[in-house]
Amino acid sequence: MRTTFFVLFILMFSLFVVTLTSYTQEAPEVSERGKEVYEESCAHCHGIEGRGDGSAAENLLPRPRDFTGGVYKIRSTESGELPTDQDLFDIITNGMPGSSMPEWESALSADDRWELVAYIKTFYSGFQELKESETLPRLINLTGKVKYSQESVEIGKVLYTELGCIECHGNVGRGDGTSAPTLVDSWDYRTWPANLSQGWNYRGGSTTEDIFKRFIGGIAGSPMPAFEGDTFYHFGLTPEESKRAVELENKEEITPEDEAEYAKYSEKMENAIDAALDRAEGTELTPEAQKIYDDAMKVVYEKSWHLANYVKSLSPEKRPEYAIGNNVLRSQYKEGDLPTFDDAEWETLESSYYPLVGQVIVEPRQFNPTIDSVNVKSFYNDTEVAFLFTWDDRTNNTSVEETENFGQSFIDGLAIQFPVKVPKGPTDEKPYFLWGGRKPVYLWQWMASEPETIKELTAKGMSNAGLQEDQGNVQAESEYKEGQYRLWVKRALKTEDKKDLQIEPAVFVPIAFSAWDGANGDIDTKRAITSWYTFVLEPVPSSRRFIYPPLVALLSLGLLVGLRQFVQRKNT
Amino acid sequence: MKIRVFASFMVLLACCFGLIVLADNHEEENNMLVFPEAYTPMKVNGGGKITGLVKFEGEVPEMKKLDINKDKVVCGKEPKFDESVVVGENKELKNTIVYLMDIVKGKDFDAESKKPEIDQEGCKFTPHVQIVPVGARLTMLNNAPITHNVHILLNDADMGQDINKSQNRMLKKLRIKGIAKAGGPVEVKCDIHSWMKAYIAYVPHPYFAVTNEKGEFTLENVPPGTYKLGFWHEVCGTNNKEPQTVTVAAGGEVKQDFTLKLPE
Repeated sequence: MRTTFFVLFILMFSLFVVTLTSYTQEAPEVSERGKEVYEESCAHCHGIEGRGDGSAAENLLPRPRDFTGGVYKIRSTESGELPTDQDLFDIITNGMPGSSMPEWESALSADDRWELVAYIKTFYSGFQELKESETLPRLINLTGKVKYSQESVEIGKVLYTELGCIECHGNVGRGDGTSAPTLVDSWDYRTWPANLSQGWNYRGGSTTEDIFKRFIGGIAGSPMPAFEGDTFYHFGLTPEESKRAVELENKEEITPEDEAEYAKYSEKMENAIDAALDRAEGTELTPEAQKIYDDAMKVVYEKSWHLANYVKSLSPEKRPEYAIGNNVLRSQYKEGDLPTFDDAEWETLESSYYPLVGQVIVEPRQFNPTIDSVNVKSFYNDTEVAFLFTWDDRTNNTSVEETENFGQSFIDGLAIQFPVKVPKGPTDEKPYFLWGGRKPVYLWQWMASEPETIKELTAKGMSNAGLQEDQGNVQAESEYKEGQYRLWVKRALKTEDKKDLQIEPAVFVPIAFSAWDGANGDIDTKRAITSWYTFVLEPVPSSRRFIYPPLVALLSLGLLVGLRQFVQRKNT
Repeated sequence: MKIRVFASFMVLLACCFGLIVLADNHEEENNMLVFPEAYTPMKVNGGGKITGLVKFEGEVPEMKKLDINKDKVVCGKEPKFDESVVVGENKELKNTIVYLMDIVKGKDFDAESKKPEIDQEGCKFTPHVQIVPVGARLTMLNNAPITHNVHILLNDADMGQDINKSQNRMLKKLRIKGIAKAGGPVEVKCDIHSWMKAYIAYVPHPYFAVTNEKGEFTLENVPPGTYKLGFWHEVCGTNNKEPQTVTVAAGGEVKQDFTLKLPE
C-alpha cells in the first residue's frame, strides 16, 4: 500500500516538474524550407532580412516586428527573457488580434510554421547564444491560479488602481488613461494601450493565463512594464505583516517597540528584494534565499491572479455576434414618449454590434482604425424614432490641435447613413456604401465639437456631400465618459423635407456608419466605416392577430358546411 | 573593352556601397562610449588629475518648454524644459561625459559610486546623465505619490532586453538589477510621463565624469601615463573619431578643455 502511494507520489511530482520546465515542442534545425516560406509569406511586412521593413510596413500600426533585436511582445517567459519556440509558433498560428498580423493556421501546415520559427530565430544572435549556453528562458510560473470569483475580481480591482494600471488603461479599462495619448513603442511609433473591455483585440489572447503572463512579464518593446515581484508594495511580507506594517507607517507616535518591529519588516523586505535582484542578475540563489524569494513570490502571484481575474471581468467572453451585412438593427415599438438620453429604459434593450474597418478605398485612407465598433439600440412610437449609439474612443477630441509628437489631431465624430429612397426590394440596387454615388444617401453627422447637434446631409459620393437646406429635424444629446461616447438621437418618422428618408414600420432600410477618432488623425475620408447593414422598425405585434385567424377559421367552416349542404342537396 | 569598363564601374559601385555600409556602422559606434577590452582595479599611488571645461560653440538652441499634460499638481509646479542641451551664461555645457577610453588598470569604484541613484522628484530625472558601474544596482527614488515606470532602453545599444519596471506611487524606492555588460549611454524614460528622459552609462571603470552647470569635470587619481580622453554629449555627439590624447604625470594636474557644437 505504502509503495503504491509512494510511486503515485513520484509520478505526480515528476508530472508537475515536467509541466513546469518543459516546452511542448522545439523548433527543428534551420532549413531552406523555412527561408522559402518566410520569403513568400512574411517578408512583405517583416522584410527579407527580418528588419520589419517590408514593402507593406509603412502603412501598418503597430509596425511589423523587427526580428533583429530579439524583442518579442507575447511571451510565456519572464521579463528580460527571449520567447520560447512554442511562443513564436503560437503567435504565427493564432496571429495577433487587433493588429495586421493574421493567423496562419489555415494557410500554412504545422510543419511549415515550425520551419518558420527556426528561420525567424536566425535573425537574432541571442537565440543561438542561448542554445549554446544550454539554458532555457525562465517561464512565468503559472501554478497557484486563483479561481475566478466576484471576490477575487474585487481584490483585483483595488490592485488595478494601486498599481497604476489606470494611468494608461483608464478607470474602467477602455484604454483611455491620461497617459494614453503620448505613448510610443521602442521604435518611437505611436502605440495605444489595450482597451481591456475588448478582449477580442488583445494581441496575445484573452484567457486569464494570457492576461497573467502579459502582466508579470510585461510586453517587450511597448510601454507596458513588467510587474515583477519587487514592483509590488511590501514585497517580502505576508498579507498580515503588510497590514501591520501599514499600521505602523501611519502611526503618529512611534514607540521604540514599534521601531524594532518595523525594522524586522524592513529587513525582510530588503532580503526579498535582494533575492529577486540576485536571481534577475543570474546569480544562483542559496536555498535560504530561494525560500525567501519563493515565499515572497507566492504573495505576488496570488495578487496577480486577482488582477488577471479583474481584467478578465472587464470584457465579454467573446466578441459580440455580428454577420457582416446581415446584422439587423431592430427598433422596438413603445407606446407613448420615447426614452430620453438618460432613461434607464435603454438598459432593457440588447445592443446591435457593428464592427468598423478602415476606409482604404479613397485617399486619404485609414489603414489603422482605432474605433472597433458602434453599438446601437433603438425605440420608436407612432410618430418618432430614437437611437442610442455607443462607441469606444480613447480620447475626447473636440477641436483641432497640434500635438507634441504626432502631428495634428482632429475632431471626433460619427455619421449614420441611410439611402434617401429605400430600395423597393432585394433586387433594387442600394446607393454606393461610401456616401452614395449615382443614388444619393441621407446622412446624420455628429461631431464632438458640437455635442448636441446632428447635421443633415445629402451626399452623392465622398467628395460630393452637402448640408441640407432644411436643418433641425434631428435632436441629439451626447456624453463622453471613461473612454466611451454615448449619443442619443431622435427624429420624426415623417418629415416635410423631400431629401430626408421617410421611415415606415416593417420596411427594411439600409443603414451604415462612419466614425472618426481625431487623435488617430481621422478627418474626412480618413476614418473607420461599415458597409450597409439593415434597420427596421419592428412591426407592432397587432391585436388583430386575435381577430382575423378565428374569423377566417369560422368563415372556412361556414363555407365547408355550406358546400356540404349544397352537395347533399344536389345529390338528393 | 566594354566589358572592362563595365567591370571597373561595378567595382567602383561595390566600393561605394561598401563605404556607405562602413560609414553607417561607424555612425552607430560614434554615438557610444568606448571602453577598454578589460580593466583591472588596483591601488593607485601618486595618481594625477585631469580637469577641464566643456564649452558650447555656436548659436545656443532654445530649451523647449515641455508639455506637462499629466499629474500637473506634482509635475507642473514649475515649468520644465527639455534638457538635451543645457548651456550656462558663458556657454558652459552641462551633462557632457568626459572619460578615459583606453585605461586598463587603475582605481576601483568608491563606495558611493557603487550606489547610483536617479531621483524622479517633480517628474524629472535627476541627474540627467548618470554613470552606473557594471553590476551595480541603480536605485530609482520617488517621493511623490505618483506612479512611474522605469524604462531603460538597453536593446538600442545591443545590451539585451529592455528593462521596464513599474514603480507605483507607494514605492519610494525601486532598485534596478545590475547590468554585467558595459555600454551606452542608453536612454531611460517614463512612458507614463512622456517628457521624462535621461541617460545611463554602464561603465567598467571609474574614470568617468559628467560636467556640472559650470561645464567642469574632474578625473582624479589617474595612474601616470598617456591616455585617450573622450567625451560624449547626447546631442553634440562624441570625439570617438579623433580622441584627445593627454599625458598625466605622477601627482600632476592636466587641464584639457573641449568645445562642442551641434552636429551638422
